[in-house]
Amino acid sequence: MHISEGVLSAQVLIAGGAIAAAGTAIGIKKMDYDKVPEVAVFASAFFVASLIHVPIGPSSVHLILNGLMGLVLGWTAFPAILIALLLQAVLFQFGGLTTLGVNTVTMAVPAIVCYLLFHRLALSKKQWLSITGSFACGAGAVFMGAVLVATALVTTGEAFAPAAKLILLAHLPVMAIEGIITVLCVKFLRRVKPEILEATYAR
Amino acid sequence: MRGKESTHKNVYSGNMGVAMLVLLIITFFPAPALAHRVYVYAWVEGNKVYTESYFSSGDRVQKGLIQVFGPEGNKLLEGRTNEKGEFSFDIPQRTDLRIVLNAAMGHKGEYLLKADELGGAFSPKTVAKGPKQATKAAASQVGVSEEKIRAIVEQALDSRLQPIARSIAKMREEKGPGFTEVVGGIGYIIGLMGIVLYFKSRKRD
Repeated sequence: MHISEGVLSAQVLIAGGAIAAAGTAIGIKKMDYDKVPEVAVFASAFFVASLIHVPIGPSSVHLILNGLMGLVLGWTAFPAILIALLLQAVLFQFGGLTTLGVNTVTMAVPAIVCYLLFHRLALSKKQWLSITGSFACGAGAVFMGAVLVATALVTTGEAFAPAAKLILLAHLPVMAIEGIITVLCVKFLRRVKPEILEATYAR
Repeated sequence: MRGKESTHKNVYSGNMGVAMLVLLIITFFPAPALAHRVYVYAWVEGNKVYTESYFSSGDRVQKGLIQVFGPEGNKLLEGRTNEKGEFSFDIPQRTDLRIVLNAAMGHKGEYLLKADELGGAFSPKTVAKGPKQATKAAASQVGVSEEKIRAIVEQALDSRLQPIARSIAKMREEKGPGFTEVVGGIGYIIGLMGIVLYFKSRKRD
């Protein structure tokens, strides 16, 4: 869901840049010493995830992993996503430097919203609640990202309903896959290293 | 202090686990085809410009909007790609042509077709000016007009060069991320992590 350069208007680009800067500032403030390696690992994962292509329909979509990032990183997902997108723009020519702010917002805001909404549920003692919460977090973050991209595109004159429909339809399989991946990762992390998830919760 | 160290160790081992998991996920999906960028490239054949558009995953862009702009940014024509991602049009003018593909969902690609690439279809007057008389004389002796020879040669050249022109156009556009870029990017992130940790650790002391 990278928006290419030259698609959006200047106002949208500036607004996106401002929100991304604010979110990144909060994220950096909340990033303490122990958190840095986690942020780096997830930034790498996000960076590589965009190369994993889900072949579906007339368009092309890829893994995003922003729900999982939100769950583990909380607010520090903002700087992680910003760095990963910057490197994707420079090295892969995905997205672009001018759209960096907007792309960061469309990926990181859903991550944080899902973290705030589903974190408690995902860490529930009851297993089925935890699975539901994790799945909702992974799928919901992709869903919200798609809605945000559609919103940004509306400003270019693409009608909202068809644009949103197209993007959501294209991302339905990604939502399902990301939901499952998030469930597996949460299960794995809770068994192997529960502090990673709970540390975010405490903050 | 000892307690602090041990918690660090735990965090790192946890991260190793995450990294392993990510690797597993990546290998689990067997075709890490490249996604999320659109390519458009164009070549000339006779009086027509042919374009092909596809996603970086290799899928064709269907019903993508192609717009062609002149050097001053003026729109010359537009059209939609067919289900094979192809779109062709007659050469509108003999200048640089900027071919812009808009594949919806915020995907946009561009290809610049230089004026001299349109040359194959140039009218005779710009091509030969000097030895015109001589060739004309020679041609009239054989009994075939100069124009006819030129047309035949051009046609033959076009059909021979077309696949080459096409693959050159494709190669010029196609610069998907390779192994180097992926590993390099991860390297950058690890390097940044080192820098951040360095400054954070100085602050703690």
